[in-house]
Amino acid sequence: MIPQETFSDMITANKAVALAVVRAKPKVISAYPISPMTTIVEYLAEFVALGDLDAEYVRVEGEHSAMTVVAAAQGTGVRTFTSTASQGLAYMHEVVSATGGMRLPCVMFVANRTLMSPGGIWPELSDSMPERDSSWIQIYIGSNQEAFDMIIQAYRIAEDSRVLLPVMICGDGYILTHSSEAVEILGEKEVDDFLPPYKAEHAYLDIDRPTAHGIIVPPQYHMEAKWQLHQAMKNAKEVIQEVNDEFAEKYGRNHGGLIQPYRMDDAERALVVIGSTSGTVRGVVDELREKDQKVGMVILRAFRPFPSEKILEALSKVNSIGVFDRSMSFGSAGQCFLEVRNALYGKSTPILNFVAGLGGLDIREEDIEFMFNKLVAVENGEVIEDPIIFVNTRGVTS
Amino acid sequence: MKLKDLPNEGPYTSGDRACSGCMAANIALNVMRIIGEKAIVSVPPSCMSVFAGTFPELNWNVPYFHMQFANLASTITGISRALKTQGKDDIVVIGFAGDGGTGDMGLQALSGAAHRNENILYICYNNEAYENTGIQASGSSPYGSWSSTTPVKGKLRGNEYFPKDIPRIMIAHDSSYVATASTAHIQDFIRKIEKAKNLRGFRYIEVLSVCNPGWRVPSHIGPQLMTEAVDCGYWILFEFEQGKLTINKKPKFTGLREFLSKQDRFMHITEAQIKEMEEYIQRRWNIIQKLEDQKP
Repeated sequence: MIPQETFSDMITANKAVALAVVRAKPKVISAYPISPMTTIVEYLAEFVALGDLDAEYVRVEGEHSAMTVVAAAQGTGVRTFTSTASQGLAYMHEVVSATGGMRLPCVMFVANRTLMSPGGIWPELSDSMPERDSSWIQIYIGSNQEAFDMIIQAYRIAEDSRVLLPVMICGDGYILTHSSEAVEILGEKEVDDFLPPYKAEHAYLDIDRPTAHGIIVPPQYHMEAKWQLHQAMKNAKEVIQEVNDEFAEKYGRNHGGLIQPYRMDDAERALVVIGSTSGTVRGVVDELREKDQKVGMVILRAFRPFPSEKILEALSKVNSIGVFDRSMSFGSAGQCFLEVRNALYGKSTPILNFVAGLGGLDIREEDIEFMFNKLVAVENGEVIEDPIIFVNTRGVTS
Repeated sequence: MKLKDLPNEGPYTSGDRACSGCMAANIALNVMRIIGEKAIVSVPPSCMSVFAGTFPELNWNVPYFHMQFANLASTITGISRALKTQGKDDIVVIGFAGDGGTGDMGLQALSGAAHRNENILYICYNNEAYENTGIQASGSSPYGSWSSTTPVKGKLRGNEYFPKDIPRIMIAHDSSYVATASTAHIQDFIRKIEKAKNLRGFRYIEVLSVCNPGWRVPSHIGPQLMTEAVDCGYWILFEFEQGKLTINKKPKFTGLREFLSKQDRFMHITEAQIKEMEEYIQRRWNIIQKLEDQKP
């Protein structure tokens, strides 16, 4: 049995997610195994079997059904959970989008993995990035502790009456999902206190008050519904920060909310980083700081809604900016780069896009140094024709 | 329950926008007269989602949930499981889908739900084509029939394939209850829906649904065509329960030509094609009969 009180353990992000789900007490869980999230469904199956979690565990025949079961269950007014990765998320796509549009506050964990082709099982954000337009909140995590904390916070954010949107917590496959770190698992009482049982208030399936969900509407209502979605996303910025701050105050862990600047106070150049690579960058920043290079990092946590104001504020004083992307919108640029540059519209700060670690390619400290060195070169007047730079690419860059 | 005992109105209200003579609307109306208000309904994209489920004119006076084409069985599974956690498992969770949403795109989810014996009632109104999008052939379209994707042009003389036998696929899942029905055989229909209402577990009922524009027939002959379909063995009425199949009405095996001749979707059909259809009907009858003979 899982201890009811707070405890710490050396665990993977997948186990941290599964334990967070136990604490969040969803009523219906449905998922289909896919690497690298597989151990989550294994843990959850076990927790339900052992009675640690009182939930319906629906072992479906594919991800399309997993997302459907969860969305429809949520439609009756109960808390739900699902998880997937890569092709599984792509396979879910039409239901993912419908879930956001129906304002169903589901929570999903995505173990980020590359999307075919070429095939691969290693980390890349090309699975969750295409879902940035599916009206889900997306928060990217960088540690196993965040995996636990953010699943708990995700329900609070999703279910907030100002938001009512599904939340996707995204974490790099294997780097987080299969590596163990010390994680504090908050006790049942602590989580109950922070995250009370879910009570649907507005639109849910109730035979005493028939309502229709997800139906075909004429364009004028469609436009209105989409405007409401936009407002909900705007509200979510505030709510994500509020929930983060309350969690930090109660449990002493402040993950930053929308973004987390690192050594940015007097930074002259900065890397904007998403996902677990922030750990590597943190180390390089510390090393370069010891060599008197005033470098800093901004960890991008919320991708949807995109924290443009926070990004602008955090990067307002630097001389050059590099944006790291572990995914690419081919024919354009990395998705993070596009968003950051958009947030900085009107500013003339040089900005480069470092595309690295695709297909799970290891992102080494020297790759991060290469990025900072490129920024120095740009500051010193080097002309770079294409701001999109593929780092450590066989036959192209060192 | 007798037909005269059914309430005139049910939670499927009047004023839908189905074509005149649409048998799918007739099926929805009659199912809901029998089931009553303690139900939650889902319909995937199909004729029924359009003629009865567009805002602000809805014909469902019960909670209604609309998802995608391929996932009706999973949608009602999610609802049913969630109701169970709330102690509301006396609510009948019903899905209505056409043959495409059932046997083609929806087959995977349907198979999963049947395999897990989900507590759901799945009604397939089989109108034998993708009628909603303008009469394209589906996996359930009859051999030789015209559709907008099986034209009678050049080397093609209508549909080149025989239909899938979805009820038999459901029987292969050893489902709690599988039945075929027709609203022209209303007493048999009422008995089956009522039985399904009171049973628990996975229940599948496939109802033949004449589509006037799709079958190219006048709007008043739907019930007559369904009667003829049963008489000539084109549509076999049976039910499968607790591992036992029962044929509810033995066909006369007469009138296939007359049945086909009333439908302009078969206007071009050749003698050779009719002969192949007769053989198909006989072959399928033999299989169903053998299933009836089997001990559970």
